[in-house]
Amino acid sequence: MYTLGIDIGSTTSKCVILEDGERIAGSSLLVGGIGTKGPAQSVEDVLRDASLTRADLSGIVATGYGRNKCTETDQQASELTCHALGAHMIFPEVRTIIDIGGQDAKCISLDAQGRMLSFLMNDKCAAGTGRFLDVMANILAIPVGELGDYAGRSVSPAAISSTCTVFAESEVISQLANETPMEDIVAGICMSVATRVSSLAKRMGVNPDVCMSGGVAQNSGVRHALEVSLGQPILFSPLAQLFGAIGAARLAWQKAGR
Amino acid sequence: MNVQELLNRFREVAACPRAQMENYLKSGKKVVLTAPVYTPEEIIHSMGAVPFGAWGADIELNESKKYFPAFICSIMQSLLEIGIKGGYRGASAIVIPSLCDSLKVIGQNWKYAVPSIPFIPMTYPQNRKPDFGVAFTKAGYERVISDLGKATGLTFDDAALGSSIEVYNAHNAAMRELVGVLAAHPEVTNAQRSDIFKSAFFMLKEEHTELVRALIDALGAAEAGPAKTPIMTTGIIADAAGLTGILDDCGLQIVCDDVAAESRQYATDTPAEGETNLDRLALKFRNMDNCSVLYDQEKNRCKKIAADAKAAGAKGVLVILTKFCDPEEFDYPLIKKACDAEGIPVTVIEVDRQMVNYEQARTAIETFRDIL
Repeated sequence: MYTLGIDIGSTTSKCVILEDGERIAGSSLLVGGIGTKGPAQSVEDVLRDASLTRADLSGIVATGYGRNKCTETDQQASELTCHALGAHMIFPEVRTIIDIGGQDAKCISLDAQGRMLSFLMNDKCAAGTGRFLDVMANILAIPVGELGDYAGRSVSPAAISSTCTVFAESEVISQLANETPMEDIVAGICMSVATRVSSLAKRMGVNPDVCMSGGVAQNSGVRHALEVSLGQPILFSPLAQLFGAIGAARLAWQKAGR
Repeated sequence: MNVQELLNRFREVAACPRAQMENYLKSGKKVVLTAPVYTPEEIIHSMGAVPFGAWGADIELNESKKYFPAFICSIMQSLLEIGIKGGYRGASAIVIPSLCDSLKVIGQNWKYAVPSIPFIPMTYPQNRKPDFGVAFTKAGYERVISDLGKATGLTFDDAALGSSIEVYNAHNAAMRELVGVLAAHPEVTNAQRSDIFKSAFFMLKEEHTELVRALIDALGAAEAGPAKTPIMTTGIIADAAGLTGILDDCGLQIVCDDVAAESRQYATDTPAEGETNLDRLALKFRNMDNCSVLYDQEKNRCKKIAADAKAAGAKGVLVILTKFCDPEEFDYPLIKKACDAEGIPVTVIEVDRQMVNYEQARTAIETFRDIL
């Protein structure tokens, strides 16, 4: 049985097809989220990747910010539910998930069976989200995907505000004016995100194992800063950005009668 | 009237308070605005005026920003905005209590921003339980009576207050009974439930009691709809259509609440004890408890929320936190702790009077439903 999970985020669209709720038969990830052609193209891409057609699919569940606008299915689930399912499938021992997406950050607490116990979401604020990193990368004229490498070369991270993206932007410009090394500025930016998100996680309670999901999980600078801030190792999977789509596909499999 | 007709009537009043106010003014009644959270409505009622709830509204804020910083309760901001823009024209006065820092601020701003509607302060004591606290409350009421007399030309009579107290106690009892009746009827939506509570602010209580009693009777004869997932709500306000709509979409049913604009209003009756009826009213404030703006160093409210949720069969507690409301924010960790101890899941969402996009709240509520 093949099931499809579609995760329509604020900046990217992700799709995963699972075979019998376990094996990843295909995946796709495109820049372009809600309100763009990204979701439709992502579905086409995942079908091609899995060498399947729509007729082969037994169920589809949409998740993410754009889940209610998805034309491929009338079955939706919140991204927290799906990230929990996806993360638990990849890391069965995980108890705390930190999901940093394009426009928000969420912390999820799981029990041993992978059931959600509680969760917290950030305020409507760009600080501590992928958007924060996008803005900073733009000011620094560095591709956002290279921020982790820069942070890894830092000797003395600069102090950057975790309270507000606008304030932080001004601070970064001041650091540039003071000729602070780029690596230290970037490390400060990663630490800023980590400080903000770890506060959220600590409010909920952090139990090991901890993993990251969402696009920002790809950023090793933020991951390492979070490890320092939480005093815990953070599990990482190259599939982290697909956890929501994996969870949606698994939910579709469960709904289809396993 | 049948159930649907009654619910439509509540909707009509809740959705258009200005029309309701115009009706009272046309009938020759004086209207006195009552700001959150507790005002001595019985006094206003006994003097022959209509106490009219002024809890702001979901509107865009422009003019009020001249008087407030950005990070302050949007209920207060929208209340002032409506006042400045003439939405309360015709009102004889506004009574604003001193129960939180934001309320203290708006009283002073109101005098300059809306000079056409006199501001009457109701200064409550922090320590309301001791005799000196009761005396302080009574002195506050006497000040309100004096100012109301000047603003409306109406006079106070203690015997008339006794009659009004009976009207309000009867309304309290009806509202408390209604909560239990609604819990047994999931077909009444959360939006409709909200309308019933909201409309109470814009009607004379004897008129509202009559409608509520009729609804209780009509529901008693009606068959209960399919079951939904029972939850409890707590917060200052929970009347936004965007919010109640999401709860309905998610198949959640509010079976009891600790919302200041809802059940907290009707939790305490005026007692029979007291030398005069004004003394009785002061004792009512003494007896009030379990509210974030009423001082309680033991914070018993938080344990009561968990106990009430359990007693009502609620599977979870949804904390609807009004942005920048310090008293509610201080209580949240204790509410969470008390509910955790009882094994009742809790989640918190933030709301204010300017929300146009509820997608983040929808995600949180859908996830909360999945947990339950």
